[in-house]
Amino acid sequence: MSAPEVFQLSLGPLTGIAFSPDRSQVCVCPNSNEAQIYTRNGDSWDLTDTLAEHDKLITAIAWGPNTNRIVTCSQDRNAYVWTHTEQGWKPALVILKINRAATSVKWSPSENKFAVGSGSRAIAICHFDEENNWWTAKQIKKPLRSTVLSLDWHPNNYLLAAGTADGRTYVYSGYIKGLEAKPEATIWGDRLPTGQLLAEFKSPNGGWVHDVAFSPSGDALAFVAHDSSLTIIYASGPNEPPAAHIVVKLPSLPFTNLTWTSESSIVAAGHDCQPILFTGSPSGWAISHSLDDPSSTSKPLTPTATGIRSGGGGVGRLGNNEAFNMFKAADSKGQRGLPGTGAATTSSGLTPVGSDGMLLTVHQNTITHVEAYEWNQNGEVSKIFTAGRDGRLVVWPVTGGKGGLSGRMAGLQV
Amino acid sequence: MSEYAFRKINIDALDEDVLLPSDLYDPDPRGPDGVLSDAQRKAGEVRNLVSRGDIPGALNTILSEPPYGDGVDEAKDLTKNSLLLILNSTRASEIPTILKSLGQEQQDHLMAYIYKGMAAIGQGSDVSGSVLLNWHAQLTEVAGVGCIVRVMADRRTL
Repeated sequence: MSAPEVFQLSLGPLTGIAFSPDRSQVCVCPNSNEAQIYTRNGDSWDLTDTLAEHDKLITAIAWGPNTNRIVTCSQDRNAYVWTHTEQGWKPALVILKINRAATSVKWSPSENKFAVGSGSRAIAICHFDEENNWWTAKQIKKPLRSTVLSLDWHPNNYLLAAGTADGRTYVYSGYIKGLEAKPEATIWGDRLPTGQLLAEFKSPNGGWVHDVAFSPSGDALAFVAHDSSLTIIYASGPNEPPAAHIVVKLPSLPFTNLTWTSESSIVAAGHDCQPILFTGSPSGWAISHSLDDPSSTSKPLTPTATGIRSGGGGVGRLGNNEAFNMFKAADSKGQRGLPGTGAATTSSGLTPVGSDGMLLTVHQNTITHVEAYEWNQNGEVSKIFTAGRDGRLVVWPVTGGKGGLSGRMAGLQV
Repeated sequence: MSEYAFRKINIDALDEDVLLPSDLYDPDPRGPDGVLSDAQRKAGEVRNLVSRGDIPGALNTILSEPPYGDGVDEAKDLTKNSLLLILNSTRASEIPTILKSLGQEQQDHLMAYIYKGMAAIGQGSDVSGSVLLNWHAQLTEVAGVGCIVRVMADRRTL
């Protein structure tokens, strides 16, 4: 198993991230109103373009792999579609008609339209209107009661799942008349006019739904919510109750993102700062293991750009006193026992902290984005990438969830 | 001064589509009277079980389908007092085994009541802070911080 690749792209959070189709470029927003495009140069990334058009924080970025168009959406209630030309990236304004910030954006699988979720309790499905030469939107409002926090398209290019801040996940039809052929009946619904609500699910304890994702086949829907739960729904037929509704209540902090790596495995990441692999089937789902092993002491992964705090310096003559440091650690970091004996964690899910104050996980802060990076021949995801509030971009190999894990299970710290 | 009067308008009261806290969860299907009679019955059972020393049974009774939401304050008080009685009557050495025998939802409800008990310490009721802290520490060991997060996130206040 190879070690994860770690890149420190910014000192502050990365609020939006999207890779180019060949993974040689990445578009990120370093917590500002500009998007930056970095090009891979060996082991590091060079800044090659800056996309500056938004007035406020960019909340999400999506890069269409086939058409090579980038769409960015921001708190200034706008979205721009960027097309690459010889003179650089050219923006085109999208008329969203929302009166609150846009929170998330996703290209549809065929990239002829994209969906934008917003705080104005609406989803705008945008497509290019050839006649007027502009991007225009159709809004879905009913029955959204609160901010749309996340979106995902079904592989058939018609259905759209949305997670909202009132603890619900909705499945809508995102069919645009005039743009595409009429959709066929699917397992989620048979009548699919634009904006038709096909299904609605609640999070188990009312937590905001942070992320939703359809499985690669589209027959299952998974979402993570702020009440530390992961829910997986298997559809059975139009207007029928689902074939399976599995809720995994977690002993750890809530997840903020998830992605399917195969039809039976999901990687989720969030406030515990490490990606966790889950495996399962319609009969049940369970935690498999964490892709980050905080108990491993060898850490050649910490990039030098982080400015590691020099540990050890203390206050006057008490600085090197072991007893003083022990109580100081107990007071400021909640560490029991002597520092250096390993910050052992209990099973209560607290992220382990090392003696120098850095977290023992690769990410030093919440992971805000998880997505597939590379696929193997079977179509399963072999590598994922994560970006977090610590400004780090990490590419992880996805180790299988089957067999040969007894050693890792012993050191499992979730 | 009249030009500032608009700042005092309660705009949410005028918004037809405002989201109320009660929209975020389903009310108790038993209705306020059903909830109250259930709570009274359970309080009686719990007193019997505790006097017989059956702590797991008492916890099981009180933590299944507790009263939540609006309009059931008397039932909530009854349940809380019964639960505090159980917590105070348990030997510290038996706590871990008892906690492991509870279902996941019951563990979440117990955590919520522990926090409710901690909030009641200042108001002069007979709760002991050290007992509650001990239960809290043991329950976090068993159920994890996810249990605490669920208590904070859940709109169905116990």
